[in-house]
Amino acid sequence: MPLRRRDNLLTWLVVGPFAIVLAFPFYWMLQTSLKSELDLYNTENNPFAFGEGSPTLDNYRFLFGETQYGHWLLNTVLVGLVVVAITLAVSLPAGYALARLSGRWGQTLGVGLFLVYLVPPTLLFLPLSRVVAEVGLQDRLAALILVYPGFTIPFATWLLMGFFKSIPRELEDAALVDGASRLRTLFWIVFPISLPGILTVVIFTFSLCMNEFIYAIAFITSSDSKVVSTGIYTELIRGDVFYWGALMAATLIPAIPLALLYNTFLDRFIAGFTGGAFR
Amino acid sequence: MADVYDVDGSIGEEVTDTRTTRRELLRRGAVGSIVVVYGGATAKSAVGGAPRFRNRELKETLRIIQWSHFVPAYDKWFDNVYVKRWGAANDTEVIVDHINVNDIPARAAAEVAAQSGHDIFFFLSPPAAYEDQVIDHKEIVQAVTRKRGKMGELAFRSTYNPRTKKYFAFSDNYVPDPANYRADLWGEVGIKPTSWDNVLRAAPKLKAMGNPIGIGMSNELDSNMAMMALMMCFGGFIQNDKNRVVLNSKGTREALKFAKALFEQGMSNEIFAWTPASNNQAMVAGRLSFAMNAISITRTAELVNPDLANKIELLPIPSGPNGRIGLEHVMGCYVIWKFAKNKRLAKKFLVDLETKYIGAFENSKFYNFPSWPNSVPNINRRLERDPVAKPAAKYKVLGEIASKYTKNVGYPGTSNAGIDEMFSKFLIPQMFAEVAQGKRTPDDAARTYDRQIREIFQKWRDLGKV
Amino acid sequence: MPQRRRRNLLEERRFLAPALIAPAVIFVGLLVGAPLILSVYLSLTNATAGSLTGDFVGFDNYASQWSDPNFRTAFRNTIAFTLLANAIVVLGASVLAHFLVREFRGKWLMRFLVLLPWAAPVALSTIGFLWIFDSLFSVVNWTLKELSLVDQFNPPQWLGEPNKALAAITTVHAWRLLPFATVIMIAGLASIPKEVDDAAKVDGATGLKKLWFVTLPLQLPIATIAVLFGIVFTATDMAVVYILTRGGPFNSTQMLPMWAFQTGIQGGSLGEGAAVALFLLPVLAIVTVLMLLFARRVEVT
Repeated sequence: MPLRRRDNLLTWLVVGPFAIVLAFPFYWMLQTSLKSELDLYNTENNPFAFGEGSPTLDNYRFLFGETQYGHWLLNTVLVGLVVVAITLAVSLPAGYALARLSGRWGQTLGVGLFLVYLVPPTLLFLPLSRVVAEVGLQDRLAALILVYPGFTIPFATWLLMGFFKSIPRELEDAALVDGASRLRTLFWIVFPISLPGILTVVIFTFSLCMNEFIYAIAFITSSDSKVVSTGIYTELIRGDVFYWGALMAATLIPAIPLALLYNTFLDRFIAGFTGGAFR
Repeated sequence: MADVYDVDGSIGEEVTDTRTTRRELLRRGAVGSIVVVYGGATAKSAVGGAPRFRNRELKETLRIIQWSHFVPAYDKWFDNVYVKRWGAANDTEVIVDHINVNDIPARAAAEVAAQSGHDIFFFLSPPAAYEDQVIDHKEIVQAVTRKRGKMGELAFRSTYNPRTKKYFAFSDNYVPDPANYRADLWGEVGIKPTSWDNVLRAAPKLKAMGNPIGIGMSNELDSNMAMMALMMCFGGFIQNDKNRVVLNSKGTREALKFAKALFEQGMSNEIFAWTPASNNQAMVAGRLSFAMNAISITRTAELVNPDLANKIELLPIPSGPNGRIGLEHVMGCYVIWKFAKNKRLAKKFLVDLETKYIGAFENSKFYNFPSWPNSVPNINRRLERDPVAKPAAKYKVLGEIASKYTKNVGYPGTSNAGIDEMFSKFLIPQMFAEVAQGKRTPDDAARTYDRQIREIFQKWRDLGKV
Repeated sequence: MPQRRRRNLLEERRFLAPALIAPAVIFVGLLVGAPLILSVYLSLTNATAGSLTGDFVGFDNYASQWSDPNFRTAFRNTIAFTLLANAIVVLGASVLAHFLVREFRGKWLMRFLVLLPWAAPVALSTIGFLWIFDSLFSVVNWTLKELSLVDQFNPPQWLGEPNKALAAITTVHAWRLLPFATVIMIAGLASIPKEVDDAAKVDGATGLKKLWFVTLPLQLPIATIAVLFGIVFTATDMAVVYILTRGGPFNSTQMLPMWAFQTGIQGGSLGEGAAVALFLLPVLAIVTVLMLLFARRVEVT
């Protein structure tokens, strides 16, 4: 069908360049991570081709063998998951309350929650270091688990507030008429329907956690408790020597599975929006 | 595989349950298998990690944090050999954490804010700003002096505050800053970079050969040191021996003019964008003919490109109208926080470390020079005997540089809080960069930056620190 | 019967709402509100070197920073980068989202590629850009040199010349935010009820007309939110400048969070650093409130 082929072509012409620009750095990271040092640091060589000693898995071997990279990956995932759990536990009720149960002051509070983001963490980390030390969590992952919800909860509450507003009240009213309490309605009717919203919060929260690094630097220095962002800085950048091959490999490894995961969830999430129960 | 599209591809298309097609299954399988593969790959090093059990209960604990040394072998020796031995002899468990040198200020501030952290904290430059947060290190200095004689001038002027009469840090080592040059290329030109005049003469020829001079003028450490040293060779000093700012002087202006000429005739634009790694990489790639850097360049070359390494030789900093004055490249300064839990052991650790410095000197591949010169006996003989260097005595000149041509940042005054702030804001390389790029005249630059630095100094003077 | 009464209490809107919101407020209050107040206090003192106390100096820190040319550059840059990067992002995301909600061959792959920048931690992906813009090994320069578009000996220094550095930083900000904004826009597009879509078709609005009169207005509220988040994430971000240029060359690429860090942490003048960090707060607050009001206004219910 020529119409569809033309549509496809147009789509490709538009989306293609975007995809190339957005993904090129990752291709480049892959390329660099497979090169040997001799090949990499030679300005005569064509960087897009493999020279002597390349392609090689040495950088990956170094990453997993000589550093605690695997440990850091697990730490990062652990922190992310626990923070997601805490965020959901706190934001789901809060978002619902702001969307349904509060009036004017709910709006104001919503805005207030958002203003939280305006303070750069570049200086907040100092008073928070004090708090963390007082609670005895210095140099422990639990410090991050404690602090991260501070900036994930407002965002999550916001998202969920908007999401709940878009669910028609009829559903809950129907349940209330049937005699269910508000709390019951909340748990058994509203939350299950908001699965796409929850998924969204999971993705966004996890992403926020992974991107954070200043708190991680300030609170944690023991090598086995580091997360990926800080561990990389410590082990792969030594004074004035950058281990570029390993650095590139280190970035690639978390990014690809995460992008795959996000991509998979995105389908669900959109499916939820367009094919939900309230059609 | 059958197409699963509907007839038109418009927005808001209904999505039904037949989504779970082969395609979806394939995707899920892909995601799942990737998870398994990653899990397997990371499991090994995840389950491993530093074993935290001890053979027997050690009575005390000492916590140290220091930078990730550019020579990984040094960290391995320090963490796994030296502190274990010391710990066993002192019934202490010593825990060493590492941090990227750039993150040191952030972590230091965090520990001070938290009033809790490590017992011994390492800085790569004299931490004058933290004077109020640390103990007086006088005891340690005296203990080492009793065993090894006086500390070097360099270390003294870098860790002592004459106004408060306090030793605000304990320096165990410093790193000399030689000039690295390509003997083969300079041989072709027929000049040796023994004076800045020579460098300027050779520069255009070397640049024409495609091998420019490489001295950074960027917001980073190497540029900071190189530009300040260059300035001193021309008679420009930031402060005098009474710690008063004297930047706006003829010497400074001459240095600025020289740097501009050197840039135009012998360097390329890249120097304004450099990170500390840039001159290393450029030299090891064969491009630069001259660089001012610690021996990280030659040591890296020895590993990555031995042929090239043999062509790189070392000299003291070129001499200028005001003589031959160089700076340390970096300086290891340990502090003990006032809130440290184990001050007694911390002091003992530092005393023991410095008193027998041979291990550190050798394991750092001659990077770490002892602040107490007598802590490593026969240093010149050791330098001559490097197993890897060709020619074998290449590193011997480091001894000369260390003893004669290495001054502290802020020479002839002391490394105080004002110097510290000016240093961390990279004001000197900026001044040179602006002049080299024609954004300011030397006179204007000297005047403007003199004023800026004076303001900084005034602030710290008011706080009673300078 | 106490059971009955308790259930009634939880039924009370007045009680339930605060009970549900309380945990969030407490968390945020403790972890952000309290440190914020402490930072305000610090900005009014001459605290140094991480110490959380100092002597009161009133607004001196604010005044001395305002007269510092580096601060003014940082302020200007923050506004410029934020606006420029987000303009690119919002345009790009709208276009991209529009096409990504369709079905087409290779959609999954394309979406995967588009999502990559968002999936990588910013600290690490920026290091990737450091390598891409490296003064000697930049792949961009290599390509340009191969195509003979630039001087072989003096290629452009993407991180070393002020204008190019500004462009580089803006590019990285936009690159990082584009997937995020696209996802938000896709959500907005997908949530347009089918009834509206059908109604538009019945009315004969297709293609461009539909875009202008139906899709865009409906997208406006969510687009505003996306822009708002984009602005906030760019204006308060330190990582990109820290890793790429540290504010250089000669402080021309300073941004407020980076300058605050450099002054307060690296330079040791904590009071001044706090003042710098807080400068942006009122500006962003006003922007936020305005944009939220706007979003509410254009909401089509």
